[in-house]
Amino acid sequence: MTEPLFDSGFLRKLDRLALITRRAMLGEMQGERRSPRRGASVEFADFRPYTVGDDIRQIDWNLYARMERFFLKLFVAEEELTIHLLIDTSRSMDWGEPNKFEYAKRVAAAFGYIALSSLDRVTVTAFGSSERGGAHLRGVRGKRGAFPLFNFMQQLAPGGAGSLAAACQRYAQTARTPGPLLICTDLLDAGWEDALRALSSRPFDMTVLHVLAPQEISPTLTGDFRLIDSEGGGPIEITADDDMLRRYQREFNEWRNEVETFCNGRGIIYLFADTSLPVEEFVLAQMRQRGVLR
Amino acid sequence: MSLLAPLALIGAAIIGPLIVAMYLLKLRREDRTVSSTFLWRRMVRDVEANAPWQRLRPNWLLFLQLLIMLLLVLALARPFFFTQGIAGRNLVIIIDRSASMGAIDEDTSRLAAAKQQAIQLVDQLPDGGRATIIATGGRMEVPASATADLRELRDAINSIELSIGGSSNLAQALTLASALVSRDEQSEVAIISEGNVTIPADLEVPAPVSYFPIGQRTDNVAISALVLQPGLTGQTLFVQATNYAPEAPAVRRLDVYLDGELFNAYNLTLQPGVEESIVADVPPDVEIVEARLSGDDGLPLDDRAWAVSRLGEATNVRVIGPGNRFLATGLALLPGVSVTTVPTTTTTFEETAAQIPVTILDGVVPPTLPPGNLFFIAPPRSTEFFSVTGLLEFPSVRPAAGEDPLLRNVSLSEVSILEAVRIVPGTWAQVVVDSDGAPLLVAGERDGRRIVVLTFDLLKSDLPLQVAFPLLLSNIINYLAPGSGADAALLLPGEPVTIQIDPEISEVRLTMPDGSQITQASGPLFFEPEQLGVYTLEEYRDDELEARLRYTVNLFAPEESRIVPQDALAVAQTGGIQSAITPRDQEGRQEFWRWLAAVALLVLLIEWLVYQRSGLVALFERLRGRPHDTAGQRPARSR
Repeated sequence: MTEPLFDSGFLRKLDRLALITRRAMLGEMQGERRSPRRGASVEFADFRPYTVGDDIRQIDWNLYARMERFFLKLFVAEEELTIHLLIDTSRSMDWGEPNKFEYAKRVAAAFGYIALSSLDRVTVTAFGSSERGGAHLRGVRGKRGAFPLFNFMQQLAPGGAGSLAAACQRYAQTARTPGPLLICTDLLDAGWEDALRALSSRPFDMTVLHVLAPQEISPTLTGDFRLIDSEGGGPIEITADDDMLRRYQREFNEWRNEVETFCNGRGIIYLFADTSLPVEEFVLAQMRQRGVLR
Repeated sequence: MSLLAPLALIGAAIIGPLIVAMYLLKLRREDRTVSSTFLWRRMVRDVEANAPWQRLRPNWLLFLQLLIMLLLVLALARPFFFTQGIAGRNLVIIIDRSASMGAIDEDTSRLAAAKQQAIQLVDQLPDGGRATIIATGGRMEVPASATADLRELRDAINSIELSIGGSSNLAQALTLASALVSRDEQSEVAIISEGNVTIPADLEVPAPVSYFPIGQRTDNVAISALVLQPGLTGQTLFVQATNYAPEAPAVRRLDVYLDGELFNAYNLTLQPGVEESIVADVPPDVEIVEARLSGDDGLPLDDRAWAVSRLGEATNVRVIGPGNRFLATGLALLPGVSVTTVPTTTTTFEETAAQIPVTILDGVVPPTLPPGNLFFIAPPRSTEFFSVTGLLEFPSVRPAAGEDPLLRNVSLSEVSILEAVRIVPGTWAQVVVDSDGAPLLVAGERDGRRIVVLTFDLLKSDLPLQVAFPLLLSNIINYLAPGSGADAALLLPGEPVTIQIDPEISEVRLTMPDGSQITQASGPLFFEPEQLGVYTLEEYRDDELEARLRYTVNLFAPEESRIVPQDALAVAQTGGIQSAITPRDQEGRQEFWRWLAAVALLVLLIEWLVYQRSGLVALFERLRGRPHDTAGQRPARSR
């Protein structure tokens, strides 16, 4: 029995939160989100001249009285959103203290739960484990969907060493309805730029959750080591001394800035997560601060 | 600089490349799994290559380790400087502390310079080296014997003080040194002196001898004689000053003080090596005369002299014997001696030793020996001091080696003796004149009494007819009655003095020239005059001053006043020619490997600090109140 992802107190706090969408998006079913479509809601959107075949119930008779011409009164449609949760399950994620993969799962689940509680559809895709595209949870919807979501999350296992870029490209091509997208990854892949570029080619409302363990942020190695890549890359020999660590730190900061600049340039929200920060605090404080939740 | 063990440098040739090779060799690394080598790979693109060797990169640790290695190897090679000094492991230092070492060169005395030199020699001792310090001049002393303890040696050297008595005869010291160095192959003898010393010609020192001359100054004018003689109407003062400088004439003023008041001043111009005398009449009531040479010269000790009046004082000498004209005449010639003749049949002696300090037993030995000092002439039977075992016929006369005060100015070479008593003296006695199997003249002290035994009857030899006789008699009386008689008031510096005290005297006080006092209730008073000046002896009977006697101690020693330093000393050495040695071509070795080892230790510490520098930085930052946070960067809060 795997332990529950969250306790009930945290879930209650999550109930009070909602996703912030930066633009209206198309959905498939009636929901609670503004859609670019015109539809049935109480919110006025526009007028349109009547053409044959239109529903006469929508004609604005007051306007007809003034203008003596038929106009249809249009309302903003409210539809559901499809939230895409992408979780990197490559072996490099299953590392660190606290574990990055666990962290990513919890943040993604919290995000998904918030979406479900506002009647949105959530799809979860785990990639990295295999060439097939990994485990997949097709859209669950409403609070009812929280169980399958948490269940799916708990059963996700890390493994494999797929290319991040290839997985993202495939997802961008196959995803049906674009919507808010949260990708949880450590981006420790030479193809991280291609991966993000591929996803941003579709009109997803993208958020990158960059999960890193404190041991990656500032390693405390001293001595001579042969570093073995958990994803099977070739080993690398280093002599960790003060100078080396200082260079690593510089290199790391440079890389982070690079990622952040890349995201900012493409309207992607960049969230940096240090796993030493508790998930609750990250979701309730950091994500709200960065304008992802409200 | 040179090396004692240069082979040790080979160590550097072996170990140095090894250390460098260890840095060339790739390290055995610990495997460590990381999430991804992505970031590391970006950083260390040039570390790849799987060869067992890597490029040698400048590395502080390598540099420091090579430095430590070099220092240690150099220390093992035992480098040294050549210094003026010695090289032996067993060192015997003979320090001259005679009066002439009190000469002032520039600002320190020669003895201080000699001590300095001795300490320098001791500091140069190699590891495990031992040293013996012999202080000669006056009584020979060995303040430190064969010790390797440098502190003890330094203390011993510093404890040496100037001795105003005695001569600069190195015979005793060199004999001891020879005995000490004969035990060890690597021995050396160092003589620190100004060079005006007597060296025995027949002694061969079985080790190299170095001589360290001390001193530069040569100018010295001394008061070489000061005598106050009772005259017919008053007293006559005789002062003699001598210029001991080898070349420069000296102009000095001689001040004469009578009882502390300036009496006269004489300007003297003294040619080198020439003495000048002044004779003056002084009033009969003058008690103390002091002569001072004003001005400055090399040796201040001999610029002052004292004399005390002995007017109206006489030493009582009792003669027990059949009557001897020669003896009576000889005694009558001695000033300050009054003779009492006692018949041979006398058996009880009422007078105390203070009243009659000397008794001459001419051919008799009474059943009870009189008190005081005794002079036996041809004793007919044994006494508690010696045994008479027979007769010697036509004994040859052989004065003992060395200069005995009894034989001062006495030549016995012409003396023939018909018959002498064969005696076996006790251990107290020192043989002054020896003969075939038995001594002719012995002298010594026992139980505070001085005893002289002349074993032949004066009438059975031609001694009384020779010039030697009155001189010998004078010397013997001086020896038996020191502090009385002719030059009674003249004591020799460093020579022990015994003064007989009358039993009725309840207390005696001896005041030294520096004002300190010795107080004694009874018994003979012993003291050793170590200061120059006037000694005052006061005898009290029931707190009443009974008598006051004055003695003077002067440095009338030409061999000490001659302060010209000698460049070389001729000391016979085994395995070498009798050479005059100077230290200029002597080689001392000052090793300094300890310093190298100490520096190596310091560099080792630095090397360790360099190796641990990251930890030190963290510690330092923590101490400065900035916790070194390993969690490091929190997620950035800015966009």
